[in-house]
Amino acid sequence: MTSGSRPGRWRFRGVFTRRRGAPSRTRRRLGAAVRMIAALALAGGVYTAFAPGAFAQDNTTQLSATAQEGKQLYENSCIVCHGRDAQGVTGRGPSLIGVGSASVEFQVGTGRMPLTRQEAQAEEKKPQFDKDQTKQLAQYIQELGGGPQLPADGVYTEDLKQNPDALARGGELFRVNCTSCHGFGGAGGALSSGKYAPSLHDVSPEHIYAAMLTGPQNMPVFGDNELTPEQKRQIITYITVQLQQDKDPGGIFNLGRYGPVTEGLVIFGVGIVILVFTALWIAGKS
Amino acid sequence: MKRRKVDLAQAPVTLAKGVDERYQVATPLRALLNKVFPDHWSFLLGEIALFSFIILLLTGTFLTLFFDPSMQEVTYHGPYAALRGVDMSAAYESSLRLSFEVRGGLFLRQMHHWAALLFVAAIVVHMARIFFTGAFRKPREANWAIGVLLFLLGFLAGFTGYSLPDDGLSGTGLRIASAIMLSIPVAGTWISASIFGGEFPGHLIIGRFYIAHVLLIPAALLALIAVHLGLVFKQKHTQWPGPMRTNTNVVGERMFPRYALKQGGFFMAVFGTVALMAGMFQINPIWLFGPYRASEVSSASQPDWYVMFMDGLVRLMPNWQIYIPIGNGYSIPPLFWPAVVGLGALTTVPMFYPWIEARRTKDKAIHNLLQRPRDNPERTGIGAMAFTFFLVATLSGGNDVIADKFHISLNAMTWAGRIGLLIGPPLAYFLAVRVCLGLQQHDREVLAHGVETGIIRRLPNGQFIEVHQPLGPVDDHGHPIPLEYGGWVVPKKMNRVGALAPAIKGFFFPVEKPAEAPVSPALPPVTAGEQREEITSGR
Amino acid sequence: MTTLHDETEAVDVSDPRLSRFEIVKEGARRDDIEIVTYESQFHGTDSKAEKRVVRNIALLFFIAGIAGIAFVVFYIAWPWQFELGNTLSDYYTPILGLSLGIALFCLGFGILAWAKKLLPHEVSIQKRHDGGSPTDEQKITGQTMLFVAEELGQGVQRRPLLKGAIGLGLAPLGVAAAAPLIGGLIQNPHRDNPPMMFSTGFNSAFNNGKQVRLTRSDGTPLRPEDVSTGGQLTVFPGIPGGATNEWADSPTLLIHLRPEDADVARKNADADPRNKGSMWGDYIAYSKICTHAGCPASLYEQQTNRLLCPCHQSQFNITDNAQPIFGPATRRLPMLPLTVDDEGFFVAARDYKDTVGPDFWERP
Repeated sequence: MTSGSRPGRWRFRGVFTRRRGAPSRTRRRLGAAVRMIAALALAGGVYTAFAPGAFAQDNTTQLSATAQEGKQLYENSCIVCHGRDAQGVTGRGPSLIGVGSASVEFQVGTGRMPLTRQEAQAEEKKPQFDKDQTKQLAQYIQELGGGPQLPADGVYTEDLKQNPDALARGGELFRVNCTSCHGFGGAGGALSSGKYAPSLHDVSPEHIYAAMLTGPQNMPVFGDNELTPEQKRQIITYITVQLQQDKDPGGIFNLGRYGPVTEGLVIFGVGIVILVFTALWIAGKS
Repeated sequence: MKRRKVDLAQAPVTLAKGVDERYQVATPLRALLNKVFPDHWSFLLGEIALFSFIILLLTGTFLTLFFDPSMQEVTYHGPYAALRGVDMSAAYESSLRLSFEVRGGLFLRQMHHWAALLFVAAIVVHMARIFFTGAFRKPREANWAIGVLLFLLGFLAGFTGYSLPDDGLSGTGLRIASAIMLSIPVAGTWISASIFGGEFPGHLIIGRFYIAHVLLIPAALLALIAVHLGLVFKQKHTQWPGPMRTNTNVVGERMFPRYALKQGGFFMAVFGTVALMAGMFQINPIWLFGPYRASEVSSASQPDWYVMFMDGLVRLMPNWQIYIPIGNGYSIPPLFWPAVVGLGALTTVPMFYPWIEARRTKDKAIHNLLQRPRDNPERTGIGAMAFTFFLVATLSGGNDVIADKFHISLNAMTWAGRIGLLIGPPLAYFLAVRVCLGLQQHDREVLAHGVETGIIRRLPNGQFIEVHQPLGPVDDHGHPIPLEYGGWVVPKKMNRVGALAPAIKGFFFPVEKPAEAPVSPALPPVTAGEQREEITSGR
Repeated sequence: MTTLHDETEAVDVSDPRLSRFEIVKEGARRDDIEIVTYESQFHGTDSKAEKRVVRNIALLFFIAGIAGIAFVVFYIAWPWQFELGNTLSDYYTPILGLSLGIALFCLGFGILAWAKKLLPHEVSIQKRHDGGSPTDEQKITGQTMLFVAEELGQGVQRRPLLKGAIGLGLAPLGVAAAAPLIGGLIQNPHRDNPPMMFSTGFNSAFNNGKQVRLTRSDGTPLRPEDVSTGGQLTVFPGIPGGATNEWADSPTLLIHLRPEDADVARKNADADPRNKGSMWGDYIAYSKICTHAGCPASLYEQQTNRLLCPCHQSQFNITDNAQPIFGPATRRLPMLPLTVDDEGFFVAARDYKDTVGPDFWERP
């Protein structure tokens, strides 16, 4: 291992943690041990949910009420793969320390987590947790290890009335940063060996924002230095307004905006078929 | 001056006389009006291409009135909000303008693009018909070669047109085109630099492609189409074998009144289909692609369908590079083989197929009667082989979209394509030959024994026999006298020999019911065919 | 000619008793056509079937007319200018296509039905005349051509001076005709200095000898902290117009690897003489232009550290000098040597060592 002082050797992803600096390893281990004791105590039936401070030597491990709820959920649904206190289980699931609440909002909010089976890539499914539960889980993971968070104000798009330029700027940024995987029309695309970039046609602004911030699965991370929050909002504006809401002006059917593949299918499946049937009728007896 | 009263009824006669005195058209015009064309649905496929070409000329001319083939950088200020303030080439800007700021411009642009796809699709389907029926045999070898050239020209016309709007997708295509030029040994860099006027992309390529797309290629297409049709006219259309039809006659309808009217109606149907598709299905939404930037690309970047086979071959090509360790070292990149050699071979070798086949079979006769695919299993096998190759290559050209939509690994798709390209064609050959032989065998069985009636009779001795309806006369024992194999439809079901009405009335029925003779009193004797043949050989 | 159509007797067309159809038949006979069948498809003059067919055809023509008018009305009156969102104008093209399509289809099927159902059923037989002209005709034409060839050819044979003069006089003229047509197009790909073919915008020669900064598409320079771990950014040479198509070979992918991946990548890069020391910290930069066909290879998978090209699916291993691991690409992506200047911005230590972009014959 080379020294951690070289640039770019931050232990954690995300900007907020990086700025603050990571807690030391011993401190985390200690905290983990403490939380384990707390969990044991809970299991033992001692009602100590609001009094972990009695055992704790460090205030950072103190969980808020929301996080406590999240912890309960975590230990029911996530602990098998991600391990106790989100430390990860080799071969099953990665550590969630430092992934941030944004990551939970994306993975759990889109139903990708919990996984039903190990695959090349987690699939989008019907979410298993409702909005509140997702928030609780997110809060728990956030309080455990920090990491990127969604903006507190909950604004993910630009107001086109006040800022009409946002759409075109978002489009430019979308083409530079996003189309290579998600396609010009946002229809998604294949990656190597069974992985894929999903379609953007029915993703909520919140989840797009969270995905950019955290880089889920094989998506690269677009932290706030690469794309400022304003630029992210512009991109999301382009996706929602232009790709999701705007009716395609060129026809009733947009052929999934896959480009020449579906167009080629249609020219044979519709054009040639209609005309061959016409020819059959012309030359037919009846 | 005395005014003569104009006799309106006589006016056309006078006019016609005047024209004929000057140009002597009476005899050739009558011959033209009277020309006989055979009638079969498969003879109308080429017309689809012809009519699409006319639509292309009409809509294309409209587009030129608004398109600006310039790579000058401009800033967009039009109604499409998502590109406002973006720098782009004038070509792309004018393409957006004609899509959004010209009334009906988008509709005509889409018609042009759909007609282009239909043009090449119809060419391919028509070529398949010609091939599988042996219509390319002497005396029509040259017309087959012209047809292959027309496909190549259609390919080039399509590719240049695809590149003109200078959007993100077409720019990517241009970049690949430049890489293909670069891959040519020795002269590659010179060719690319000469065509692009320097390094890719330069400032000239759109203008150059434009003049090729609107003048050079259409002119060549027009000239070749004229020759193609002229030869069909001169040599007369081929026909299927059948009652009254021989190698030396054409049985069908005279051009006027009926045949020409059908053609006119079919043109309108093709035109209508293109219009309907242009309205219903969005094609090539360039506004989503943005202006071409060398750093931007989209997943699922594909050429139009008729270029996809080449793109597929490029995708499937293993990464074999040839290094030549002389001097600084030279190399032939793998791109060269599928894109230059492959495209070259696939568009020229088929051109020579008629001569190759004639040489192999030592066949020097003139053929005006078509063969059913089953009657020449070897040719059908070769065709199936070529078709499978083309299909696997084309599908591989879209393998990323297939992988994405059907949740297959992209790498697995590539390997499937590589293996399929090697195994598929021989397999298709084998299957096609077996199917042909099987169908032939069945025809022969029916000719020898008659149609299966589905009636089982039990004889007094307890034996069961199946009753067959003989198609021809029977001998003294009541057994059918075997009929000669004619290479034409053999009725295989009782309803085809008049036992029942056709299951689906008329629609899929052959033009000439083989079992049914014309009702006219002018019905020629059954043996008339041979007689005609003797008379016509006027040498 | 007369021997060819001797089956039926010629009729005298001046005979006033002949019906028009008989004259037509005589014309057909002269064109070697025998009209075997030409009869109405309906029985009797006032058949119900005929009336039904006529009604249907008329209906098709009427619908065609109405749809045609509708097309014109829609063309003029329907709102057509593009507006954002789901507006009526988004249905302008569909409504045009639908009305024109229906109009043309009905017209087409009307005409087809007319030809097919209303016109008399016809079977005509025309003779072909295959197989060359009469032998004496062939001979005469052949001899004529030979005569011409002889006149010209022997003239040249007997006069050697003429032969030489034709060769020397006409060949240069042919070249002279071709020269201006083709010559103007020819460009020497190696003419620039530094040669464009082998250099990108990161060559300091384009920046007055100074190292070229890595910039975003809007021209702003980058600091290391601008790219998050597991993130990537497309960067351009920081020279005027560096992000435009003028520098189509220059787009570069700057990737911030995770520490464990960066260790592997650094080890592999340092083991390679051309890429040694090209990484800076955990940052690595590769040309975005695929070495196969020149598409931007930019589908970066941050967990598997593969880079995929969307055009032909070549895959490159980012942590192993961008070696191609799948697909048709043979050559690895060139690595841009990175460093940071005094102000803390990324610069290219020097231009790419390997030639960027697709391969060609004389690439060393």
